[in-house]
Amino acid sequence: MSTESGTFLDQFPAEAKVVRTAFYSSFVALFVGALMGILQVLHRTDVLRIVDSADYYSLLTLHAVLLVLSFSVFFLVGIFTWAVTTSLDRGLQDLRYTWAWYGLMALGTLLAGIAVLGAFIPGLDMSAAVLYTFYAPLQAHPFYYLGLALFIVGTWLAGLDWFRSWWAWKKDNPDERIPLPTFMALTTTLFWILSSAGVAVSVLAFLLPWSLGIIDQVNALLTRTLFWYFGHAVVYFWLMPAYLLWYTMLPKISGGKLFSDPLARVVFVLFLILSTPTGIHHQYLDPGIAEGFKFIAMVNTMFLLLPSLLTAFTVVASMEHGARQRGGSGLFGWLRALPWRDPVFTGMALAGLMFAAAGFSGMINAGMNINYLVHNTWWVVGHFHLTVGTAVALTFMAATYWFLPQLTGKAIWSKSLGLVQVLVWFVGMTFMSNSMHRQGLIGVPRRTAEPQYSGFDYEVAVGSMAELNMQVIIGGTLLFISTLLFLTVVVMTVIGDKVDGLPDNGYADTLSGPEDAPLVLDNLKLWAGIAALLVILAYSLPLAAIITRGGILGPGGSPSPQFVDTLLFVGRVAADTVGGVIA
Amino acid sequence: MSSELEREIGHDEFDPVGTLGLITIYFLILVVLWIFMYFVEFAGGDLTVVGVVV
Amino acid sequence: MNIHTYEKFWLGASMVLIVGFILTITYGSVGLGIAMVDDSEPTINPENVGDHPDFGDPGVEQVGENEYVVHVVAVQFAYFPGEIEVPADSTVTFKLTSEDVIHSFSVVGTNANTMIIPGEIASVTVEADEPGEYGIVCSEYCGSGHHDMEGKLTVVPQDEFELEGDE
Ligand code: HEM
Ligand SMILES: [Cu+2]
Ligand SMILES: [Cu+2]
Repeated sequence: MSTESGTFLDQFPAEAKVVRTAFYSSFVALFVGALMGILQVLHRTDVLRIVDSADYYSLLTLHAVLLVLSFSVFFLVGIFTWAVTTSLDRGLQDLRYTWAWYGLMALGTLLAGIAVLGAFIPGLDMSAAVLYTFYAPLQAHPFYYLGLALFIVGTWLAGLDWFRSWWAWKKDNPDERIPLPTFMALTTTLFWILSSAGVAVSVLAFLLPWSLGIIDQVNALLTRTLFWYFGHAVVYFWLMPAYLLWYTMLPKISGGKLFSDPLARVVFVLFLILSTPTGIHHQYLDPGIAEGFKFIAMVNTMFLLLPSLLTAFTVVASMEHGARQRGGSGLFGWLRALPWRDPVFTGMALAGLMFAAAGFSGMINAGMNINYLVHNTWWVVGHFHLTVGTAVALTFMAATYWFLPQLTGKAIWSKSLGLVQVLVWFVGMTFMSNSMHRQGLIGVPRRTAEPQYSGFDYEVAVGSMAELNMQVIIGGTLLFISTLLFLTVVVMTVIGDKVDGLPDNGYADTLSGPEDAPLVLDNLKLWAGIAALLVILAYSLPLAAIITRGGILGPGGSPSPQFVDTLLFVGRVAADTVGGVIA
Repeated sequence: MSSELEREIGHDEFDPVGTLGLITIYFLILVVLWIFMYFVEFAGGDLTVVGVVV
Repeated sequence: MNIHTYEKFWLGASMVLIVGFILTITYGSVGLGIAMVDDSEPTINPENVGDHPDFGDPGVEQVGENEYVVHVVAVQFAYFPGEIEVPADSTVTFKLTSEDVIHSFSVVGTNANTMIIPGEIASVTVEADEPGEYGIVCSEYCGSGHHDMEGKLTVVPQDEFELEGDE
């Protein structure tokens, strides 16, 4: 495939540096995020409370922002950059541009992080304990909104970078099919831009000016709806690089080929058109939105199960192909022939298995009226630690054991430790997530520093609250240990020496290739158009209704806490001082 | 990696029966759990929410 | 495009699942009569909740033979009223609004669960059949004292029930 064989580093040293830097940024975020994670576990279960319960929410904000924005998205831009470069076999158009978007993303993370951590610095009137959903009228320091906006603009520019590569490649290869990995990166970019436009409007038009005191109130339901307009699509944004790895790496590592390239394209097209018009399923219990709109969002959501169910088949079939080529036989006996000693394989396979379990809780979350049972309980947290917290995170960690040698020219320091690491994650998550699901069903709320209340006790049907909490403690501890093991392997690998004889860069071949896929699948303009149309259909009426009800700036609700006063005060003091100095 | 391969299986000779088996089991689990969650955990729960009477 | 027979089968099974889920939910709405919180209530100015004819004096009110309406105001970090008593075998409509930020009203271990958004009135109607005591928690993060925000709902036997201020 490539003009020159060898590792990715041999082929594209400059691009390898970009991907490497993105990965390292992501690992730093993982470390701090996981540290917050274990602190949350210990705080909620009242084992150890190193901060006031009032400050718990700053830790939680940091956990979510660092893990689901920085960790996932930095890794993702690395993967997509690798995927586009490798599959088009050409370098990026302009590396200065590439570093510019990386810089924006890094700056954005830093600003948002500073805003959150400001809460712990005495005397500094700064905080962003608004969680990653920042529902107004809860207000964060302007740095938080600014940081998020910069980060998102950075990802848009990254998407454009991949498009530029593809446009240039198309000129040289007018009649060729888009290589599958590039196809995946491009379709993902399209729905990402479509969906994050919503949160960009919310932040730039409303929340940022409001936090700066330019407007004095916002419509709480409107900004919340704009957040969720993006908030469901973003979960697919995290998931798509994991899917890319399952489709293009896992078959190869299993010793086989991708079962079907055409179906993989169909799956990504379905994600492109269905990811966004589903966000209202996060608002099933919101007043001010008609039941009809909720029902439409549910139907779209349920159909969005289809591409994931199809993926389950294609990916497992590709593994089965590998196992049978390796000599496996029998109805299920082939499972034993898979390369279970390889952390890359085992990590990804276990991540996929957890995703299957998450499919079940996700179906419950997707259901409209059954949402009364689970909404905002710890069930939901159990669910997404299986999806983004494992299907995505564990796949990324496992993939790192393949990528790191490609990016550094060094061999993994200890593959067996890597194997232990992915297994520990799996066991830890089994405990933590199982208990979170069960606690949710008895009504334990999420996002609460002290889930113990004075007026009542939870009714636990099977087992006891102490047992359930113990599971969370054990699970959380194992997860934290696993994170440390992962980082140890990464650091030891990176400080090691370069070696020869590393495997060549590449990705899986296909059993049924692109020649079997109808040409129309590659018509990105068509699919982007349909996606935009569906979004307009699903969202124009609800948004119009919300604005008509509450007004564009809303019926009120004062900001909490308020930074404007302090800003104005600081401004006045500064002006006075300057005035004094001049006079 | 290819050194570990014992045989080459082409597109037409490959029938993913194992996958079919696994996915059928998954299907059954989903159906059973869905029914349990909806009709026992949810619809059987206290304070059933109904349409507005007033 | 050639799709393997097994894969066609799985496509069919997936569609059965999806349609089955949608039908179950529809049955819940139409057959069991489970309604969603929606936009049927008028909006309200969060700054003037105290002057509102109903929310100005929140609490339990009888509106029909076995029908009650409970108006509740949520603020950082409490409900007014914090303790609610309704009779068993009745239909109770909770009407909730917020004076400040977004909250929730979640009766622990039950299906009574809704968001409370400033400017909106959430209305949820439930069947209270058996006597019992339930905790109420705010499950939507509302600020630094979020974990202290709780209330209590008591469903008392019909013959023990008395409306406040009825004596
Ligand atoms: C060391 C591993 C981890 C531990 C111990 C951990 C623990 C927790 C706990 C206990 C909560 C619930 C807090 C609450 O509801 O009060 C939580 C929330 C959350 N976690 Fe993790 N987690 C870990 C890894 C991850 C990963 C890898 C991700 C995603 C990539 C993630 C994403 C989230 C998100 C998005 C929330 C929700 C935050 C919110 O409600 O605003 N976590 N985590
Ligand atoms: Cu969603
Ligand atoms: Cu609250």
